[in-house]
Amino acid sequence: MNVLIVEDEKSLAREIGSFLKSENFICDLAFTGKAASEKIAVNLYDFVLLDLGLPDYNGLDLIVEARKNKVDTSFIVITARGAVEDKVKGLDLGADDYLAKPFALVELLSRINAVARRKFNSVYSDVVLGEFTMLVQARKLLWKNSEVDLTRREFDLLQYLVLNHEKVLTRHQLYEHIWGNILDDQYDSNFIDVHVKNLRKKINAYAPAAWFETVRGVGYRVSTS
Amino acid sequence: MVKLKVKLSLYNLFSKLAFTVLFIVFMPFIFERINLRQVDNDLINKREDVIRMISEIGIEPFVESDSTGVFGSFDILKEEFISLEKVNLEEDLNFIEVSVRKIDNEEITYRIINYTFKIDGQQYLLEVGKSLSSIHRTQADIYRVLLVLLIIIIAATFLTDLQYNNYLLRPLDRITGKLTNISTPSMFDKTLVNTKTTDFVKLDESLVGLMEHIEVLFRKEKDITANISHELLTPISIMRSKLENLLLTEGIGEKAGSKIEESLKTLYRLQTLVNSLLFIARIESHQYLRIETFTVGSVLEEVCDEIKPIAEDKEVTLKLDADQDLEMHDANRSLLFSMFYNVVNNAVKNTPGGGTVTVRSSLGNSSKHIVEVTDTGKGMTQDQIKNLFSRFKTTVDRRDDGHGIGLAIAKTIADFHEIGLQVISEKEKGSTFFFTFFKSS
Repeated sequence: MNVLIVEDEKSLAREIGSFLKSENFICDLAFTGKAASEKIAVNLYDFVLLDLGLPDYNGLDLIVEARKNKVDTSFIVITARGAVEDKVKGLDLGADDYLAKPFALVELLSRINAVARRKFNSVYSDVVLGEFTMLVQARKLLWKNSEVDLTRREFDLLQYLVLNHEKVLTRHQLYEHIWGNILDDQYDSNFIDVHVKNLRKKINAYAPAAWFETVRGVGYRVSTS
Repeated sequence: MVKLKVKLSLYNLFSKLAFTVLFIVFMPFIFERINLRQVDNDLINKREDVIRMISEIGIEPFVESDSTGVFGSFDILKEEFISLEKVNLEEDLNFIEVSVRKIDNEEITYRIINYTFKIDGQQYLLEVGKSLSSIHRTQADIYRVLLVLLIIIIAATFLTDLQYNNYLLRPLDRITGKLTNISTPSMFDKTLVNTKTTDFVKLDESLVGLMEHIEVLFRKEKDITANISHELLTPISIMRSKLENLLLTEGIGEKAGSKIEESLKTLYRLQTLVNSLLFIARIESHQYLRIETFTVGSVLEEVCDEIKPIAEDKEVTLKLDADQDLEMHDANRSLLFSMFYNVVNNAVKNTPGGGTVTVRSSLGNSSKHIVEVTDTGKGMTQDQIKNLFSRFKTTVDRRDDGHGIGLAIAKTIADFHEIGLQVISEKEKGSTFFFTFFKSS
């Protein structure tokens, strides 16, 4: 998929670019609103990651412009201002999603994937995890034919790890994804550990789950291969 | 509390009544004085008349006609009399007195002028008298009429005062009306009230001016908040992306991985702090809407569901007792969620294993609803309570206390919703946080 990263902080733009490239995206960078406007008019992008805090442009105008020119691109708005108004305005103008800085790169990826899935009307396919099967659409985890009874949060946690399989996710990345709207100083708490512990206990009651790893000192990882 | 126009009218009424009472008290005295002076003048004039008559026709017709040598004349009603008699006194008399005279077996009080004069070496005494009872009678009549008139005047002026004050102060009513029921300066009606009273025009103009000024300040604060957040969060963002990319690099060892994660943790801490301060600033500059209707019980339930796994893991019992519910109007649900979440989470954090945290929703009285969060934790000293909700003061030993910025957030949200938030605590016994919802709000 083609992605245009519109971000005046070059260092950040390159970092996002290198992450998305490693995820097999084709990335283009624009450091100014003007450059972005030209690139959007000329090239076909599946996604535009749009930072609203551009020096020469009101980022939201780029969406208006694109919509006027009937460009079929999905916009994910990124802002460090994070004001509620910005968010509402962005979504009103037709942005597909909204991310506040600073965000986790894996979170950005999962948002892009979610928008893509909506756009192309594709459904999540079931994921095989050792002896278990995750029915993503139905929000169920099965062992053979019996359902593992998970709470909403436990399922969210597992699903996020599955979506980002083979990647180590830090506790904070998990916390931010699931409880992102709750501001609290959980950065050093065992919030995630407690949920992971409960999740493990429930899964292990059926069968050992080697696919669910704790990476010492870093976080957790799910392997699907 | 009494309205200004009522106060003014009442003052007018009382001052008029006070003057009237004074008038009534002193009126008899004043009347008496005026009357007596008039009577005295009258008597002097009459004396002059008699003297003139004597000098024209001589003394004889008065004294010779009577063998007693005394001349007396009074009108039929005995209201006035004149008497003239020969006397032999050592000195001359000329004075006015009040004296009782007996005429036809009737004692009558007269005001009398006594005057002596000599004709051909013979001293005569002239007395001219006027009855005082007639004077008192007229006086009482005037008195009554005046009193009735006064009462009518006072009543009439009180009513007109009330009406006029009402009319005069109507612009003030309108101005105060504009100030009530607004929670932000932007809600203030900036159209000037129509009035010709300079004071009100000035008052209204300065209020509008002040409101505009505050609005500008609010807007500036919003801009500053936005700019600071941009300035602070952008570098955090860059560092975070770099570290996260580094962590995803193939083949980094366990040691390097955990060092990167530690750096990320520090960065998260900074991010949370900045975000928390921004969050507080945004609430304080009213960037959140209050337009939702929901029940407090539903929020408490959600908060407890969220925290329950943590409490269970610590072996802390988390109880929710929400029999009495309260419907909130014009509120922000996610903010209230944050408010309760921070306080309940704080209680669980500060309660050792085996302890209990109880969330109770109860009716205070008809005008209040109370939500209590009680823990059996280590409690706090008065000093700790004093600084509990402040943003910066507890930072020094925040880790030891276990009170993060969460409580400052809770307090800000409570203030934004006009919810009271108090704490009582006993060292080693536990603390209770009280949320007081005033039903009118």
